[in-house]
Amino acid sequence: MFEQWIQWLPGLLTGLQTSLAVTGLSLLLGLPLGLLFAFGMISRTRILRQATILIVELGRGIPLLVVLYVVYFGLPDGGIVLESFAAAVVAIAFNTGAYTSEIFRAGLLSVPRGHIEAAQSLGLNWTDEARYIVLPQALRAIVPPLMSYSVIVFQATSLGYAIALPELLNSAYQIGSVTFEFLSVFILAGLIYAALSIVVSRFVDAIHSKTAH
Amino acid sequence: MIDNQQKRTEGAAGTTDAQKAPQLQPKDIHKEFNGNTVLSDISLDVNAGEVVAFIGPSGAGKSTLLRCVNYLETPSSGDLLIDGKPTVKIASKPTRNELMNLRRQVGMVFQSFNLFPHISVLRNVALPQERVLGRSRKEAEERAMELLTRVGLGDKADARPSKCSGGQQQRIAIARALALDPEIMLFDEPTSALDPELGGEVLAVMQELAATGMTMLVVTHEMSFARRVSDRTVFMADGRIVEQGAPEQVFGAPREARTKKFLEAVLER
Amino acid sequence: MIEAIPFLLQGLGTTVIITFGSFLIGAFCAVPLALARLSDIAPLRWLATAYIEVVRGIPPIAWMLVLFYGLGRYVTLPPLLAACLALGAVSTAYLAENYRAGIQAVAGGQWEGAGALGLSKGDTFWRVIAPQGIGVALPPSASYAVGLLKDSAVASVIGVSDIAFRALTLNQQGNPGLPIFLAAGVVYMVVSVPMAVLARKADTFIRTRSAV
Repeated sequence: MFEQWIQWLPGLLTGLQTSLAVTGLSLLLGLPLGLLFAFGMISRTRILRQATILIVELGRGIPLLVVLYVVYFGLPDGGIVLESFAAAVVAIAFNTGAYTSEIFRAGLLSVPRGHIEAAQSLGLNWTDEARYIVLPQALRAIVPPLMSYSVIVFQATSLGYAIALPELLNSAYQIGSVTFEFLSVFILAGLIYAALSIVVSRFVDAIHSKTAH
Repeated sequence: MIDNQQKRTEGAAGTTDAQKAPQLQPKDIHKEFNGNTVLSDISLDVNAGEVVAFIGPSGAGKSTLLRCVNYLETPSSGDLLIDGKPTVKIASKPTRNELMNLRRQVGMVFQSFNLFPHISVLRNVALPQERVLGRSRKEAEERAMELLTRVGLGDKADARPSKCSGGQQQRIAIARALALDPEIMLFDEPTSALDPELGGEVLAVMQELAATGMTMLVVTHEMSFARRVSDRTVFMADGRIVEQGAPEQVFGAPREARTKKFLEAVLER
Repeated sequence: MIEAIPFLLQGLGTTVIITFGSFLIGAFCAVPLALARLSDIAPLRWLATAYIEVVRGIPPIAWMLVLFYGLGRYVTLPPLLAACLALGAVSTAYLAENYRAGIQAVAGGQWEGAGALGLSKGDTFWRVIAPQGIGVALPPSASYAVGLLKDSAVASVIGVSDIAFRALTLNQQGNPGLPIFLAAGVVYMVVSVPMAVLARKADTFIRTRSAV
């Protein structure tokens, strides 16, 4: 079994690269989106607030797989044709934005009201207030859960299998369909997913307990 | 500032030179929260260099009035004049620029200090200068150091606010507000969160500030401070000004029964 | 398009079966797993921890493929059963962690107190600890159930005829994808949003009750 695994590993690692690329790009696009949504949700403008909440609820209420289907199979009807890689990034980034908006919002609201009033009474404008006072403080509450969320994003890239994205799970499936050793290759792929997820989670826990002290 | 000092010696309870408009005039300030009237048509003339103390039972609207003066609360109606000119065209709808201008002239000190915990004491005082007044970092930090020294905390410059006592934090907060060269300073129960001893440090700094001729509006529970330092004491209850005058008069010979009752209750403790 | 809606809605039952089925599996199996996780017997604790970590570390869709294709050589599971077992295994791991938090939230003195009264370990757990811990464990478990509903869409990749699968089928039959998939999304939301609201209500209810 191990000989086979060594033989398959390069193919799976190529798939892993794609998984990681999708993870990275989705976070790169999704996190700013999440911050934007968070600002929208706490906005004083009612229309903006309600519109944001609607979008976020859609992002959280619809299964990511269905969002993926919308982007990959649905958008071409609207004239937007995306390759599986781009489609996965767009769908996962949107999903990330919707889910992390709650993390950002909680972080922003964790900054005591008095600090915001102090910033206002000192005459800081809205952007300075956000940049120098609110965000640096909110970051402490935001970073650990965001790092945990990056593990979820990494796992979510496996849904790319359903739109023929050559990521880790799909690479395993391809190997399986040639060798018929599905169980063995899926176990190997699973171990790769688990190893990365567990390592990152442990790392986050370590940081978390450090900052908690 | 020097001619302000002059005026202080004249005794302040309202004797103004006729040519000059009062420095600060809240006019018919009205504030409602969900249909409850918190301030009903408050008008007040505050002259440059005057120290006005606001006393009264909790819920009287003192803090709300102070917060309306720099628009942390938006009044439901009324006008806010500085040097005779309205600061906000439509009282209930301030524009961003109007707020910036107003807050540049009015500094505020809070009951809960509200120092920014993630930056050093020095940066707390310097950052707003850099962002609001556009001072260079060097210039701002020099000014910050000067003010911290003035409130007796030059040695705390590099510490985090959390490493300072409450009294020290409040003095830093005063330095932070002063660093923006405000013309008027608001103090919202600056010593209520402090032990009497630490509160004393803060009151000393405030008294010194008053002596330099700063216009100050102070909401306080410290009757002796109001009596000793203020030029005018304003007694508020139920969202109205019940009585105002020189502290000797308000404390010594209150005209209104409501004032008498309050002072008896407070001074008995 | 309109005639596609009933076809789509017929998948709702399957989606609900997967969600409830796998949640029930998880809710039961998580009890011994959580106890093993807190056991005094080290190997038992390690095994339980390993199960929880590994299972949560592998995406649900991978479990789906493992059970359906991976085991396909030895046993052929009906897709619906494979889907329930796969998500059931995953929810066991997640719910066990919720239970553990609930058990640990109950003060240690409660075990001692019950022991001093001569209650058996089983009685102590079921009659003293569990009723107190449920308030902590229930809200996150309810939100997990909402997540499970969305995860159930993954069953479509092994051919379970749920909402997502039916949407895919309609699209492959030549119907325009955009409205079909959006309609499928709306169907999920119609179920998940009330579930989420209920979960939140239960949370605040339990919080206010235990605060008194």
